[in-house]
Amino acid sequence: MEKICLAVFVALFLYIGPGTIFGHSIMHVFPYGYYASDTFQHQVRADAIKDAGNFRNEAFYISKGAENIVGHYPPLIYHISIIFSYAAGIEAYDAIYFIVFFFAIVGITIMYLIIKDFNRHIALISLPLAIIMFTYPLLIGFTWGHWPSVLAQSFLIVFAWCLMKIELKHSFVLISIAFSSVLLTHTSEGVFAFIFMALFFAARFIAKKLNRAEIKNIAIAMSISFIASVYYVIIFMNTWSRTQPYTFLIEPLWDGNPGFYIANFGIILIFIIAGIIFSSFKLKEMHTSIIFAFAMLLSGFLNYVGFGLRSFQIRFFWPVYLSVFFGFGIYMLLKIVFKKWSIAYTITLSLIFVLLLMGYPKISFIPSYTKSESQGIMDSYHWSALKWLSNTEPNSKIYFFYSDIYDQDAVLRNTKRFHYLIDRDSFVNAIQEKKIKRYYTSELPGDSGGGIITRTGIFSFEDATTKYPQDYFFGPQDICKFDYIVLDKPQSDKDIRIYNMLVASELLKKNFIEKKFDNEATIILKNNKIGADCIEERSF
Amino acid sequence: MKKEVFDAIKSELSYIGLLFLTLMIIFKIAFFKENVIVLLRVILSLFWLFVLPGYFIMLYWHEKLGFVERIIIGTILSAGIIGTFSYYLGLIGLNIKYHDILLPAAIIFVGLFINLRKT
Repeated sequence: MEKICLAVFVALFLYIGPGTIFGHSIMHVFPYGYYASDTFQHQVRADAIKDAGNFRNEAFYISKGAENIVGHYPPLIYHISIIFSYAAGIEAYDAIYFIVFFFAIVGITIMYLIIKDFNRHIALISLPLAIIMFTYPLLIGFTWGHWPSVLAQSFLIVFAWCLMKIELKHSFVLISIAFSSVLLTHTSEGVFAFIFMALFFAARFIAKKLNRAEIKNIAIAMSISFIASVYYVIIFMNTWSRTQPYTFLIEPLWDGNPGFYIANFGIILIFIIAGIIFSSFKLKEMHTSIIFAFAMLLSGFLNYVGFGLRSFQIRFFWPVYLSVFFGFGIYMLLKIVFKKWSIAYTITLSLIFVLLLMGYPKISFIPSYTKSESQGIMDSYHWSALKWLSNTEPNSKIYFFYSDIYDQDAVLRNTKRFHYLIDRDSFVNAIQEKKIKRYYTSELPGDSGGGIITRTGIFSFEDATTKYPQDYFFGPQDICKFDYIVLDKPQSDKDIRIYNMLVASELLKKNFIEKKFDNEATIILKNNKIGADCIEERSF
Repeated sequence: MKKEVFDAIKSELSYIGLLFLTLMIIFKIAFFKENVIVLLRVILSLFWLFVLPGYFIMLYWHEKLGFVERIIIGTILSAGIIGTFSYYLGLIGLNIKYHDILLPAAIIFVGLFINLRKT
């Protein structure tokens, strides 16, 4: 019965999570369900690693044209996805998104196993709360591309399970695999793993359960984890830690993101608080699931002491971590009335909460699932244009005129070519001034999170951007110096369409400019005389 | 000991088969617009890359842990091992395109070997 329940929940999560976001297909003709630049950032990196065969360096089109930039993103998510992409014969953009969802659901089932070790009834009552993970605002963890954090948290949950089983013979093997996987997927989650570990051992110490064998086990596990991740951790310390060092900052709101706040639990919060209160009575014999939930509750509030974004990311899994409080709270409250508990009560309660959290009926103070079905920001026309560009000469330079889709600039890296993008303000000014120009203020898009850094030795790293002048990254660019010029014709914005087509017709007046690609969304022109006067500057 | 390990594997093969069928049904519900061949390929890949290597990693603890627990935990731990080794193998020059064959096979072999030597 229990296994059937678990299978039903897995089916439900797969249906409302990846099923809905992917339009109930796994393979797509373009990156589907991608809603923000970061989703493309990860997709492009996975593709780049697939092309290179390894993640020694970042691709030049990711690093603003710079070569030999050390691969500094935590590598695990990309490697698993590429291997899966090869094995299943699906595109890397489908594989990486699927992997994130799949392991998030595996993470939910592991949390179920952890809570089940505490109490089988509480575990089943807790499970429906995970539904909230697949609706907004928490869904942005998937659709906006917080993928490494989401995957790392699945490993964080298995790390909690491994610590729970520390008494197993050779448990250090399991603990070290889980912990090094956390570090190699999203290193900052390692801090939250440490917080949990500290609370876990403190609780065992208070309960007088901590013994020499456990200390030995954890020491061996940490040593193995260190060895397994040290190569990458050195890179991390010289890239991410250097460019984004810890600074104390009180950040109650997640700027620019629809964050999840404790009040978003609505009336559910009453049961969670009840669970926290009941748990406090069991301080001396606190179960791992409760300690883990406390640790993650605390970690999710570290935005008040400078952990900002990282703490807000932990909240993507709050409905999973805190589900034990929810289940425990309900169970204990109802036990006051129903002295003799039966599995029928558990299943009925679980079913009621599935229905309520799925929005049947929709009650305003209960967070509930809202179907989110859209193909995202990509479409087949833009995708074929980007793919076409990726087959041009490897050293070609591309210039993009403005379109809303290009605002999410990681999209452009799919050209796998060096590219500039017109600055939005410069573009708007040109339209307002009714001018066609040769020089536009432009930006060199790329991924500078963690810096653009070259590795010069085992422990020595250098910032590769210092050798370039500032206007290389942002400043006026001569559009005549580019091999390809991309002009969009968005149907939704008449002004952009008219201006872009005007520029295109002006460029095509020169006999060395030819139209190479044209579809419903985009036109691509090739300049066969780089540097020559390719456009007549004028007013219109 | 060898006999005991093989008996354990033999008795659990039917569970693995059942899990495969269950996942196939669940996937067909969640991804109902997808071609069955694609779903089959995806599930076979999940089994080859994560479920089976995970099963052999966790077989060591088969006396202490139930099948469901071992298969779920093993699946994610296998992903961790494969991802980590793939990163380093790539760095030392073995192209990632070979890892989908080599790494799961190696983990299954090592898992089986350790279990056979377990005293």
